[in-house]
Amino acid sequence: MENLTVDFMWMQLLVNSLALGSFYALIALGFALIFGVTRTFNLAHGELILLGGYISYFLFKGAGIHILWTLPPSMLALLGAALVLHAILRRVREPYELNTLVVTFGLALVLQNAMLVIFTADYRLIGHGRQFFLESLDAYVSDTQITVFLTSLLATLSVHFLMRRTFLGKALRATIQDREAARLAGIHVDHMTLIAFGTGGALIGLAGPLYAQTTYLHPFGGSEPTLLAIIVSIFAGVGRTRGLLLGGWLLGTIESATVFFLGSSWREMVSAMILIGLLLLRPEGLWSERSKPGREA
Amino acid sequence: MFLVASLTWSSGLGPVPAAGTVGSPGITIGEIDPLTGKLAKHGQEIHEGILYAVEEANSKGGIQGRKIELISRDDQSLPDVAINQAEDLLYRYKVSGLVGGYVDSLVAPVSELAAKYHVPYVASASLQRTLTLGRNNPFFFRVAHLDGIVEPLCSFLEKVVRPASVAILYTATPGSTEFGQEVKARLIRSGIDVKVFEKFRPGSPDFSAFLLKLRADGVEALVCGGFFPDHLILVRQIREQNISLKAYVGPWGVAYPSFVEEMGAAAERLFGMCAWNQGITLPGTETASDAFAEGFRKRFGKTANTTTMHGYTSARALIAALEGDLKSGGSLKGEDVSRWLRALDILTPMERLAFDEKGDPRHYRQVVVQIQSGRLVAVHPPDRAGGHIQWPAP
Amino acid sequence: MLWPLFVPGGDLYCRVLGWSFFFAALALAWNILALTGSISIGHTAFFGLGAYTSALMSHYTHLSPFICVILGGASGMVYGALWHFVFKPLRGARFALATLASVEIPRVIVDNWEGLTFGSLGLVGIEAFPGVQPGGMDLSPGESLKSQYYLLLFMMASYLLIHHRAVRSRWGWAMRAVREDETAAGSIGVPVHRIRFCAVTFSAALTGICGAVYSHLMGLIEPSLVFSLHLSAMPLVLSIFGGRYQIAGPVLGSLILYPLDQLFFHAWFPSAHAALYGLVIVLTLIHFPSGIGTWLQKKLT
Repeated sequence: MENLTVDFMWMQLLVNSLALGSFYALIALGFALIFGVTRTFNLAHGELILLGGYISYFLFKGAGIHILWTLPPSMLALLGAALVLHAILRRVREPYELNTLVVTFGLALVLQNAMLVIFTADYRLIGHGRQFFLESLDAYVSDTQITVFLTSLLATLSVHFLMRRTFLGKALRATIQDREAARLAGIHVDHMTLIAFGTGGALIGLAGPLYAQTTYLHPFGGSEPTLLAIIVSIFAGVGRTRGLLLGGWLLGTIESATVFFLGSSWREMVSAMILIGLLLLRPEGLWSERSKPGREA
Repeated sequence: MFLVASLTWSSGLGPVPAAGTVGSPGITIGEIDPLTGKLAKHGQEIHEGILYAVEEANSKGGIQGRKIELISRDDQSLPDVAINQAEDLLYRYKVSGLVGGYVDSLVAPVSELAAKYHVPYVASASLQRTLTLGRNNPFFFRVAHLDGIVEPLCSFLEKVVRPASVAILYTATPGSTEFGQEVKARLIRSGIDVKVFEKFRPGSPDFSAFLLKLRADGVEALVCGGFFPDHLILVRQIREQNISLKAYVGPWGVAYPSFVEEMGAAAERLFGMCAWNQGITLPGTETASDAFAEGFRKRFGKTANTTTMHGYTSARALIAALEGDLKSGGSLKGEDVSRWLRALDILTPMERLAFDEKGDPRHYRQVVVQIQSGRLVAVHPPDRAGGHIQWPAP
Repeated sequence: MLWPLFVPGGDLYCRVLGWSFFFAALALAWNILALTGSISIGHTAFFGLGAYTSALMSHYTHLSPFICVILGGASGMVYGALWHFVFKPLRGARFALATLASVEIPRVIVDNWEGLTFGSLGLVGIEAFPGVQPGGMDLSPGESLKSQYYLLLFMMASYLLIHHRAVRSRWGWAMRAVREDETAAGSIGVPVHRIRFCAVTFSAALTGICGAVYSHLMGLIEPSLVFSLHLSAMPLVLSIFGGRYQIAGPVLGSLILYPLDQLFFHAWFPSAHAALYGLVIVLTLIHFPSGIGTWLQKKLT
């Protein structure tokens, strides 16, 4: 402990912040896609992440499957769950965004209590990482951190590639920008909605197991990931996939730096103030390429 | 499907059928606990402890031939809900006594209602000092208090660990804050340097920056007043970041069989605290302790822990007082039952239970345990120690 | 509404109904801002500020709780005005996110300024409302549940009156114009900024008063209790459930959901009652997308 260098501190802080930020981005990815394309404000997002986590947990504990191999079943299951969510939300009428907010609030309550009944109120944890001392970085890194970082990067890049380089992506982006115009241009907006829910569900299923490995699972632990997802997605600007990663990293860095320099009890306030500041400095976000002031949330 | 599942599952929470003999009406007692929400784990544990005590008494024929009926309610960790539900129990169900309660800010309003209805309330896990400080509530009792945690913890640090400097981490809740302040004041008095003293919000997903600070300050011991889930994250990150400490002490959440189970090898040699666990019991109560542990496992299919025992003990106290009153020809009037509670002096696995004039327990004192090869071993105070400490600790 | 005078011993119902009036008032206060089209998820900031201002004033100066409540409302109002000026360029989801973030500033300050606010230990023993004698009746909300019931009923009724004005008056039409198209409203001479300013400060002041009343009724507050996501979400859910554009919509939401939950769901399923609550919300909004109030009104006309 005595031979600590200042460099070590900085590098370690940076590594931890990046890992934390990647974790945030990963949590937000599914929410951002669904919200962007379909205007669904899904407050049950965190509960779905937990569901993915529980699936992975029981495969890991019960069948002894390695965490990475639990990702595909979790993704598949959550893809299904998202389609069920879509089937329910299809019945929601205008004002769609606000009504989905309240309906998914109700669904979150149902899911929480269902999970309490099925999985009990015990806290669950998927293993824990081994740490390495990376000479090149001059910092400790755990395999969980590496997995989260790589998965987050890979998932974000894939979504980015899908959105920017494929025809489907073009249609999705058109839908994000203006549903009516997209419909007039001959895009099947309903198909786009279905695709967004499916892809978003798979991304939630990807985040779930890694959430369980990074923190823990509890039937009522869904509000934190939901909040994080809302903050990172809206902060980044709807539809800006790269913005998610950047927003996550920024949030992770701010939080880590605040805890390190000011103390844990100031964390939430400093993050909130910087968040408000950035919202004001960059009010265009993505949302507003064509924002009409006064339009309803 | 889910509703059916919840129906069958929550049946344990509905009124326990009082199949009493004809002509002897049942005795109803009420319970308020956080059965759902973030505190559900501990709320459910307390509930199971209370339920076990009630079923145990009923299997022995109830009180004077009258069966006890338990009605449980959820407080959702919200004061308005706790008050509504307590009022419902007192007004609609005319309960003869109240038990349960996990959060101090909910115990306080319920205790005031108890005073209004003249019904005794035995709180299961309330700690805060201000609760019994100012006013005298003759209907309020509790089986635990903060001194019984702070005293053994500090003497452990002062006499056994003897670190040059410590870090105290606590959560932004009244109980944990009071704990943090007490421990800090006492350690400073005994010449231990409190280098880091920090508060965090429950539910925090990351402690890595805080741990970096510990490393920078060269802190030798960490006292974490967080709860079960906070330890899960904190300990994992301590292992991942290769932080070496002389001692890691978590008064709440570490000394649980389920903690050891979830954490596995990472939990080795951590220090926790408990009032009871199987094998860690008050001298002279070994038989009762084993009977409880075995009976509980048979009934609920899981291991009892210190929180369960708090629930069990509070219900035992209330049942004993109800029995005392009925045996002496009373009619379960709140004043009489409270008098019996005040005169109570019974030996339970967790503590010798007797209340002082404020309703605080006279003899409540927790023990420090260390996790050794997946087992909880009592190591302090010396008169309760069941094994030797293994160093280096965490 | 006056039945507690005649029903003996209805303490339980008095209490539950009293609280549902309280949450109805909270929902009405929230909806006044929502009528201009700004959806806030940070109203607990006003609630907490009102609760702490009132409780601390009462603690340090021993002023009458009634005066402290007004000061609590004023503190909410000041923070509301701050919202107006700082969040001016934000709309829609970004406005909502900013309101959510703005809760952390007062909350963390209250949490950390231990010398003044007692920090995370919370404030206990807050003075209860003293007795008042309107027209010879002896009402003391601090002690009697019936008086508390009337106090909350009075509070809800006055909020309802303000809400009625906000929906129906000229002011209400202007708010509606702002909600539907701000630019167009401005071009036909609606004082957009003044309307928005009035809506947010009124809404904030009324929410602050709710928080202040809460602190004196409960007798104890903690930062996590009065600055909570639960308190931000509740008015939104109740208003939309009842019907946002109905004068009595938010009241209807609270008067239906709260007693249903407290008196029945809790008793039926002590550990899964919230699932039933959630299910009711989901089914209602799918069948009555504009809220129960709108459906009822259509039924009646």
